[in-house]
Amino acid sequence: MSSTATKSSTGSHKSNPKTPSRTRAPLTPSLTAGLNALSLGGSPAKRRTHIQDLTGNPFLTLSRPASPVKQVTSGFVVNADLQRQANSGVVRRGGIESRMDVVRHDYFPTTQAKGSPRRSRSMGRLAQEDRFLPRVRGLDDADVASMKPFHPDGSPRHVARLAEAAGININERILKYHEPPPAPSADKDLAQQRVHARSLYQRPGAIGTATSSTVTSKTRKIPTQPERVLDAPGMVDDFYLNLLSWSVQNVVAVALSESTYIWRADTGSVTQIAEAPQGTYVSSVSFANDGAFLAIGLGTGEVELWDVESGTKLRTMAGHQGQLACMSWNGHIVSSGCGDGSIWHHDVRVARHKVCELLGHTGEVCGLEWRSDGEYLASGGNDNVVNVWDSRMGDAGGDHEAQPFMTKRTHTAAVKGLSWCPWQPSLLATGGGTSDASLHIWNITTGARIHSVKTPSQITSVKFAPHKKEILTTHGYPTNSIMIHAYPSMERVAEIRDAHDSRVLFSQLSPQGDLVCTGAGDENLKFWRLWEVPKKKKDSKPSRNLTGESILQLR
Amino acid sequence: MATKQQSRTPQSISIKGSCDLVTEFFKFGVNQILFHRGVYPSDDFVMVKKYGQTVLVTQDLALENYLDRILKQLNKWLLTGSVTQLVLAIIARDTRVTLERWVFDVTVQEPPPTEDEAPPPTKPEAAIQSEIRRILKQIVSSETFLPNFEDPTVFNILAYTKQSADIPAEEWVDTDPMAIEAGKSQQVKLRSFSTDVHRIEAMVAYRYEE
Repeated sequence: MSSTATKSSTGSHKSNPKTPSRTRAPLTPSLTAGLNALSLGGSPAKRRTHIQDLTGNPFLTLSRPASPVKQVTSGFVVNADLQRQANSGVVRRGGIESRMDVVRHDYFPTTQAKGSPRRSRSMGRLAQEDRFLPRVRGLDDADVASMKPFHPDGSPRHVARLAEAAGININERILKYHEPPPAPSADKDLAQQRVHARSLYQRPGAIGTATSSTVTSKTRKIPTQPERVLDAPGMVDDFYLNLLSWSVQNVVAVALSESTYIWRADTGSVTQIAEAPQGTYVSSVSFANDGAFLAIGLGTGEVELWDVESGTKLRTMAGHQGQLACMSWNGHIVSSGCGDGSIWHHDVRVARHKVCELLGHTGEVCGLEWRSDGEYLASGGNDNVVNVWDSRMGDAGGDHEAQPFMTKRTHTAAVKGLSWCPWQPSLLATGGGTSDASLHIWNITTGARIHSVKTPSQITSVKFAPHKKEILTTHGYPTNSIMIHAYPSMERVAEIRDAHDSRVLFSQLSPQGDLVCTGAGDENLKFWRLWEVPKKKKDSKPSRNLTGESILQLR
Repeated sequence: MATKQQSRTPQSISIKGSCDLVTEFFKFGVNQILFHRGVYPSDDFVMVKKYGQTVLVTQDLALENYLDRILKQLNKWLLTGSVTQLVLAIIARDTRVTLERWVFDVTVQEPPPTEDEAPPPTKPEAAIQSEIRRILKQIVSSETFLPNFEDPTVFNILAYTKQSADIPAEEWVDTDPMAIEAGKSQQVKLRSFSTDVHRIEAMVAYRYEE
């Protein structure tokens, strides 16, 4: 019997050179890769048990239908290509050769142990050896791992078997076209346009809708629910207006179309302080720095000055030709930004109130913010321009026009959100509108842009946190969120998604700096406790302003 | 003799026609995937009426030529029956990680051995088209469950051919299957369509990590 095996093996040996090279070397990268990760799964163990049986009566193997190799063989009998190979004399399925395979499997560990370097070449030699010495070891996993599946002399059948075990079809080639697909056209202008035209949810920084609606920092608990909600019926849903102001005396003024209401946080009382003249509406409100006076900007261009305590109108300063969308106080000067792009300084003490005109915007002025020391005035326009003005420049009657101290045209949408940094005077944060949605931090001394962040949606307001190195931004559609960014890392500390039912339009900080009041087109004012007031070591006298604490007491 | 020839002629035409049909399906299928998965910017695509619905086809000349060359070769392989699978792999551009594999199995349907003269009833074109339409619609709707790509992606078309296939040297090269690791892959079987000769089964596998 061993002689027949020898004969057949020599026969196959002879035919080896006839083997088409294709079948000999299916060394496609895929196959090699697959076989490198080869694991025979449960089969080695199974095979081993068979081999153990074999020790009982080794001669039975020849006629055994359940021979382990046969099982494997049956796995690729279906393969027409393999059959073709077999017919060409390389592998003879079910012939003596297949039994030879049993032997080979039993033996190649032996040959390895003997230090024979090339096991598969020596089919004849293997047969000469006593293959019926029980080798219970069989195919250990380690042996499988040490097998070189694509030994140059590996028989196609062996390769086929390995491929079968690895779940790879060796009769297949995986091809790809020799050149990679062309990259999308790299036109710079086009790319820029694409960025702008990209829909809001695809903006960088947008988080998938599948994720939780709110990102909250792990180190700090940030409430996702407002501490208090006030109804603000009739609040105009207009991005360009500034209808909310919070004074140092802890009074919140809000304009609801024609009427202006003040809400005293200490007592919770609401009073209607002012009514706009017939035919116009309130477009902006702003408390003076001491909180005693309220400036109300009107759609027709007048600035009204009201005494908060008595609720009386002190004066009206007319002159502007368009809507007054924003105002900012600096001592006795109230600056107003007009729809025609001009910024006026009104001195509230003198009859000829217009003391200065700043012309630096071609679009409506949407944001206006004095630095707390009154040195600089930042203005943002619908013309996507950010200007910073020196307070010493410009004069209403002068011959020369005042030039902005700094002009930045980096934003690609209206700039409404402006905020000066309370702890580093040279820093200015600006946020752009829908098609820009980015937050830029400028150093006005050097004129450099220090940081930039892309946000998922329109920035409607920007506020530096007074007690923490953080920046608050409020956003419009689609997230309607309030976000807190860390400074200077610009990481997103928290995001309160859908803080309002429609876009968040305004935000104001409480005088103590712990609460934020936001207003939106959903006719709500919401108060959020986003920060803590740092505890003072020596609390000698009660704070001048009764602030957030009293709100807490109200609850 | 005459009847035999008669029966053979439509048969051979239907093989050629079927290959063209399958090739055309791949063209629109691939375009559809490239558009909806955002591999190429959406403004590169134009709407075209096809199969009774609008499909999006790229306008980018380079891409168009590239696909044409691939599809031409695919058509040849289909004619000889040597292509078994076509895979559109979507790969992260920077990390080269395979994110999605759109797999189209191509099987040649053996005509049932008929002794009688009458050729097997042919499938009406309208029926095939409606099957194709369903696949294309499924590709669009797959958007709803497939994860979004955060980073730019590129694609690659792999052809699984038989060992014996005629392969134009220098143009097609052996490659790895660009598979997704088994533990991180989710598979969704899509619809299939068949002509008289070919049967195309579609499947999408995507990388999904918890």
